[in-house]
Amino acid sequence: MSTVTTTYSDRPGLIATLGRDGLIQIILIANTFIMLAPIVIMIFSAFKTTPQIFASPFGIPDFTNLVNFSRIWTQTNFLQYLINSFVVTGASMALILTLGTMAAYALARYEFFGAGFILMFFIAGLTLPLKLAIIPLFMLMRDLGILNNQLSLIFVYTAMGLPTTIFIMTGFIRTLPNELEDAARMDGASEARIMWSIMLPLVRPAMVIAGIQNVVPIWNDFFFPLVFIQNDRLKTLPQGLTTFMGEYSTDYGVLYAGLTLSALPIIIIYIVLSRQFISGMTSGAIK
Amino acid sequence: MPQLRLTGRGLWITALIVPPLAFVALFVVYPIISAFAYAFFDWNGLLRGEFVGLDNFHTVLFVEPYASWTRNAFSHNIIVFFALMVLQNGLGFFLAYALWRELPGARFHRIAVFLPVVLSTIIVGYLFKLFLHPLFGVVNISLRGMGLGELAQPWLGQSSTALWALIAANAWHMVGFPTLVFLAGMQRIPTEMLDAVRMETRSEWVKITKIVWPLVAPSATVVFVLLFVGAFNWFELPYVMAGLDGSPFGSTDVLGLYFYRTAFGNVSSGQQDFGLGSALAVLIFLFIAVIAGLITVRLRAREIQL
Amino acid sequence: MPSTIIRIGAALAAMSVAAPAMAQDLTFWSWRQEDRAQYEQFIDTFEAANPGITVTLETFEATNYNTILATALAGGSGPDLMMVRAYGGLESIAVPGYLEPLTTETVPALADYTPEALAAETVRADGKVYAVPFASQTQLVIYNKKIFDDAGLSEPQTWDEFMALSQKLKDSGIIPIANGTATAWQNETVTFDFVSSLMGKDFVADIMSGETDFTDERFTSALAALKDLSQYFPDGFIGLDYASAQQLFSSGMAAMFGGGSYELATFRAQNPDLELGVFAAPGRTAEDEKLVALYFDGGYAANAAGANKEAALKFINYLASTEFGQAFADNLNNISTAPGVTFQDPLLAEVAELNATSIPYLFLVNFRYGEPSGSVLIQSEVQKLFAGETTPEAAGQAITDGLKVWYEPFQD
Repeated sequence: MSTVTTTYSDRPGLIATLGRDGLIQIILIANTFIMLAPIVIMIFSAFKTTPQIFASPFGIPDFTNLVNFSRIWTQTNFLQYLINSFVVTGASMALILTLGTMAAYALARYEFFGAGFILMFFIAGLTLPLKLAIIPLFMLMRDLGILNNQLSLIFVYTAMGLPTTIFIMTGFIRTLPNELEDAARMDGASEARIMWSIMLPLVRPAMVIAGIQNVVPIWNDFFFPLVFIQNDRLKTLPQGLTTFMGEYSTDYGVLYAGLTLSALPIIIIYIVLSRQFISGMTSGAIK
Repeated sequence: MPQLRLTGRGLWITALIVPPLAFVALFVVYPIISAFAYAFFDWNGLLRGEFVGLDNFHTVLFVEPYASWTRNAFSHNIIVFFALMVLQNGLGFFLAYALWRELPGARFHRIAVFLPVVLSTIIVGYLFKLFLHPLFGVVNISLRGMGLGELAQPWLGQSSTALWALIAANAWHMVGFPTLVFLAGMQRIPTEMLDAVRMETRSEWVKITKIVWPLVAPSATVVFVLLFVGAFNWFELPYVMAGLDGSPFGSTDVLGLYFYRTAFGNVSSGQQDFGLGSALAVLIFLFIAVIAGLITVRLRAREIQL
Repeated sequence: MPSTIIRIGAALAAMSVAAPAMAQDLTFWSWRQEDRAQYEQFIDTFEAANPGITVTLETFEATNYNTILATALAGGSGPDLMMVRAYGGLESIAVPGYLEPLTTETVPALADYTPEALAAETVRADGKVYAVPFASQTQLVIYNKKIFDDAGLSEPQTWDEFMALSQKLKDSGIIPIANGTATAWQNETVTFDFVSSLMGKDFVADIMSGETDFTDERFTSALAALKDLSQYFPDGFIGLDYASAQQLFSSGMAAMFGGGSYELATFRAQNPDLELGVFAAPGRTAEDEKLVALYFDGGYAANAAGANKEAALKFINYLASTEFGQAFADNLNNISTAPGVTFQDPLLAEVAELNATSIPYLFLVNFRYGEPSGSVLIQSEVQKLFAGETTPEAAGQAITDGLKVWYEPFQD
């Protein structure tokens, strides 16, 4: 992605440079503070009682006070929402990566009539805001009998994720060298065998990028569940959160604990894999 | 180029390509084409009635009360787009420029600025709603604590501040995205070009306008288009923070909420109208497609000149 | 992944096998998820008395219920029996012909229901009743008895007394009225909670007969009084959402809450120690009738295309009976509309008594049949009024102009 990384500081005027860099450092620190403060307040508040939150909103709490969390665990469907989100996201990702790799492989490694047109067809899907087709999608799900069923979400997410995945993967697979493939073909290996044992192990980096680019919006989606899913036991986390926030209205400690619990899985994964996340999520925009 | 023959190889390619094609055709292309078709019919609940030509379009654009609702929501999307252009993309550019120097701690700052981007809009919306609560929110409590009690406002309850509160929440949530896209663009600027310009001037401003900005223009095009599409699809944040009616009195109403209300109804007006909803969807869709296309063509043309 | 699909598919198949289409098996849909246990009991009672008929209850989320129901009915997979909304919400389901019309022949008990209750479940065009109305709701003032007693206050008899007691509470550091109006529909409820008596029965009658519109002085002066009263709402109430407002009241921080009878159960659940009282907000003088605003929630209907209509009508007859109404009132703490029901709960009995002098909850009952709905108009105009961005006169004018689009009596 990056050809030459430039880190530069001007040689002339050490004092001026220091002053300018100092200013930049202050701006960055201030910005980082603004970025992190709301999240820190959220996490701190999750360990406080409601009166404590009002009395000292910024105070450091007693981190052993898990009352809010245990109430969420025992009194709400939170765990169910979490499991549902895992099921829906996991199933969608599996489908996206499988189908996306299949199509990308065919488009990148074989020349056949209509390949260009098919690639255009997939790429056209990149730019279409599918939210605006929610009415026909609603009718389609009804006709398929999967309204109020997580399959409706899995199918829509898969269809939404395929264009970007195919776009990223096709580009990547095209860059793979032909030699291995040709050699295997000489040896009489079948096309399926070539794809499975020789080429697929090489495309993993692209799969990670495509995977991250899709997993975040799918995990976070609220709009499609809002329309498709009514049954409380089937709700995903963002949707369940709206139910939960209504029920606990002003028990602030519990509300913050709920938000913290919903945010934490993705925050932790992000911190561990920040480089992959950043390149994955911005890959569509960097060219 | 070998033609597709129904040999083993042809079958193999077909097997690879047809399932993904079927998914996209059934769940993306077909619904979008249907959305266009639906807009030309009268709908009785979920039953399609007769063909009414352009009536639904005429209604949402020119017949009251829809015409003023449409105008009101549309004008808010415009405000959101331009405000975020400055607050989100503009700020993002300067943050990227600051991060580009790779001063100590840059990696940490980079991770921090992108952290909110991975959070769900629902979480961000509720978080800011709690912060902005008129009585118990962190914002008003802090203002009172600092002796600035008169500045404490019902932020989400008055038309003068509600939309701006939403915009601020959105900017906080998403500023990391343009920041890191611009940063990636800057990191690809060849060192020789920078050295060359450094010979000529020591002004940061000249450096930014002459070299950095033109060279990150391709990233800028994509970021602008994405922001444009995002601003005109705005739904989750106003839904969570202002409710389906764009409270107070429609001052935070945007096309996304209005479209949803029209299509699926809300508590206070049990009516749902798939015909008018589809007409709105088609108009929004065409608007986004045309303007996003124009932005891309204009900006791309400029990229080539430079 | 494929195993997930298979598992889900298998689960679905198992469900359809587990619910075989027996001759006398009925399905019953409801949006009252919170009342599930009580409804299961009602169904047990019915099943015991009607061997051979079984009723299966399914509950859905209230906000999307109408969409789900309409979808199912249009797709031919609707339930045999269902809760339906009233007024405009009923018509969207009944007009396409999905519901079985009910007559005093098929459901004799209907003869003893009040005309207002039946009107809520009647389609205006054909005059037929399509559902048995189950509950009425009352918009009134709920108050914290302990706070009133401690401050030596009693239920106000005139508007001036009402203002004075609110001032007294405010002076003693208690929030007089808990309501917040950031949640749009709260603007409609507070209007009828607090100033129904100021509008008066005559005004409402004139509106219903088309003799006047909302520029009428009786309406605009009521709005002016409401705006004046809002000084006793919490600081920043225009940014305060519904749930927080409820919490202010149930936690004892505020003395009064303008709300519906449906809120009594919520407050009791939030704070079992709360001593609740209810009153109708007063008119200008003690002689003015004190009015609450009344409407009907919904009703029980049968599917016109149902396979077991006879059994379904049996169940509808059970739901229309006084026996059921009594059980409904006792177990769900709601005002049943069934004739001859008595209320054991003193608070409920008091609400039932207040219902004797009432006006209809006007914008729901009469103005939700077109776009823009009267409810949407009054909500946004009252919200503007509270924010100081319109006057009572301009609000009345805007509501009238908005309704003119589809409401014929206003069109000349």
